[in-house]
Amino acid sequence: MSALILQDLVKSYGSVPALNGVSFEVGQGEFFCLLGPSAAGKTTTLRAVAGLEKLDSGTITFAGRDQTGLPVQGRDIAMIFQSFALYPHMSAYDNLAYPLREQKLPRAQIRQRVGEIAEMLRLSHVLARKPDTLSGGEQQRVAIGRALIRRPRLLLLDEPLTNLDAKLRHETRAEFKRLHRELDMTLLYATPDQLEALTMGNRIAVLRAGKVVQVGTPDELYDGPVDRFVGALIGAPAMNLVTATSAGAGALETGFGRLDNGPWSQALGGFGRGESLLLGFRPHDISPLEPGAAAPLTVQAKIHLTEPLGDITVLDLRAGDTTFKMVLPEEKAVAYAVGDEFDVSIALERTHLFAAATGTAIR
Amino acid sequence: MAWRKRREIGKAGWGWTGFAGIISFIYFFPVLWIILTAFKSNADVLSVPPKFLFTPTLENFVSVFRRSYIPGQAAVDTGFDLFFFNSIYIAGTSVALALVIGTLAAYGFSRYPLRGNDTYMFIILTTRMLPPIIVIIPIFLMFRLAGLSGTYTGIIALYTAFNLPFTIWMMKSFFDELAPDIEDAGRLDGSSERRVFFKICLPQVRAGLAATAVFGLILTWNEFLFALLLTGIDTRTIPVAMAQTIGGDIGVRWGLLAAIETLFLIPVIVVVFALQKHLLRGVTFGTIKR
Ligand SMILES: Nc1ncnc2c1ncn2[C@@H]1O[C@H](COP(=O)(O)OP(=O)(O)OP(=O)(O)O)[C@@H](O)[C@H]1O
Ligand SMILES: [Mg+2]
Repeated sequence: MSALILQDLVKSYGSVPALNGVSFEVGQGEFFCLLGPSAAGKTTTLRAVAGLEKLDSGTITFAGRDQTGLPVQGRDIAMIFQSFALYPHMSAYDNLAYPLREQKLPRAQIRQRVGEIAEMLRLSHVLARKPDTLSGGEQQRVAIGRALIRRPRLLLLDEPLTNLDAKLRHETRAEFKRLHRELDMTLLYATPDQLEALTMGNRIAVLRAGKVVQVGTPDELYDGPVDRFVGALIGAPAMNLVTATSAGAGALETGFGRLDNGPWSQALGGFGRGESLLLGFRPHDISPLEPGAAAPLTVQAKIHLTEPLGDITVLDLRAGDTTFKMVLPEEKAVAYAVGDEFDVSIALERTHLFAAATGTAIR
Repeated sequence: MAWRKRREIGKAGWGWTGFAGIISFIYFFPVLWIILTAFKSNADVLSVPPKFLFTPTLENFVSVFRRSYIPGQAAVDTGFDLFFFNSIYIAGTSVALALVIGTLAAYGFSRYPLRGNDTYMFIILTTRMLPPIIVIIPIFLMFRLAGLSGTYTGIIALYTAFNLPFTIWMMKSFFDELAPDIEDAGRLDGSSERRVFFKICLPQVRAGLAATAVFGLILTWNEFLFALLLTGIDTRTIPVAMAQTIGGDIGVRWGLLAAIETLFLIPVIVVVFALQKHLLRGVTFGTIKR
């Protein structure tokens, strides 16, 4: 059952369009990610769901009720802002207690719930302090606590990790997953970081220029991007894209030679010759060809640059005048050096094909 | 982080501290002079060269409030206790009124801008750019006609109107500085618009309120021209009363004047010190990178 249904949200600020018809549905208890680059409309979408932004058109249904136009107060939605938005004049305790005080709960009960949430988020020792004396991680946990303390049915998170350092980000990702599992809450999580979306989201909506481009599970988005932008957005390092032209009968002319029998062959059958296309393949789907072995798509490539990233190494390869990236586990990468020439095999069954003009996938 | 403001304040060396001390002393010297004079007897006041070591006396302070013209006869009330009360009452009330009205107006201008908001703000500013002397005659006549001259109501209303423009401007700039997300967080936490204002916005601009109040108090406390024309015997403020003391027929009594000035200084010092913590933050508000 869908907890939250967004239908055709349209919003512009003066002449600046922010949302151009955003629609998606979030299931009850789902961890739903909204993934998109800066200015895609993530914040605007969240603010609209919270009721902070008046829409030009479109409807928002939450828990079976049309919420469009309802006041913010009493929507039973909490939000964690990108800036955390803690009340700077209140102690951490008062920040946590604020939503409960607004609900006019008895003092004793407030004290108990603040104690519980502070315990859960390891904040007990900083409760007396004002936000500006807290570390970034503590501020963020206060913001999480203030959002959770009301036990809202829907939690909106706007890039909550952007302001944290790498280590804290990693810890907090795990923390969010744990909270989601334990509290059984519906989460709508906006992020520009594909890694956050892939690791945490049950499902992801990719947003670009105020429009939802694709909705799916992390695997669906990774394996079947609807266009070259989603292909390049999901997965790191980004998908390689090389130019290609259709050669008729489901075949393809590329810098690597003529290809057919790809997963796209059938769809390509309808295309005439000479159409401009892009062949996409992920750096993870390339491997060095064992001597003597054969593969449907092999390329002789020369190492142009290596980029060791700890447990993996990214190799920049050149074949003719095309360049592409390949990922190798650290222990295999040590055997290679810049300038080496060798054969690699690209997993043909995992390649993607896009129309060059529009970027849409052909499959 | 958005509102972090931990920073190390480096200590200045002795040389600079001494230099700053000398400059401060030069600035403070006239005030010191007046305070010393207030404690001098009439003979000491006029001695040349001026004395810095003398036997202090409270005689001047006594004669601020009670004066005996003929030795041996009962002292007469000079009315200065009333004038002090007037100054405090008039300045306090008009600044408080301007703060209440101005803060509400500023919040409105900041959060619910009208079409042509800037034009309104500019018009408000122009009322303050006008040299007051230009409008003094019509205002005097209007007050006479309305029966307001010589009344508390009249002078308080006038001072409130005088304090409003900069109160609105200052408070609006403080409200503009606040992060809007914090108010939205309040709304999501269930606060009504009124509580967002009182519980979330207002406490954040406390420093600004203090700074604005001090500016208003000092301006109003010192105001002379309108007080001269629009207050009566019963509602006279100190600056006017002081000027009238100078114009006595027995020549200027410097010791007495210095005593009045010293007393006149005290409320300003008290207010500035009381609000000092907020004041520093208030006047530097816009310059601290948040
Ligand atoms: N208050 C506003 N006034 C004018 N334009 C706005 C306002 N808020 C957002 N926009 C515009 O709407 C578009 C979408 O903005 P939004 O803040 O939703 O993007 P976002 O996806 O959250 O980006 P980011 O990742 O940078 O936070 C942008 O073009 C932005 O400039
Ligand atoms: Mg945003």
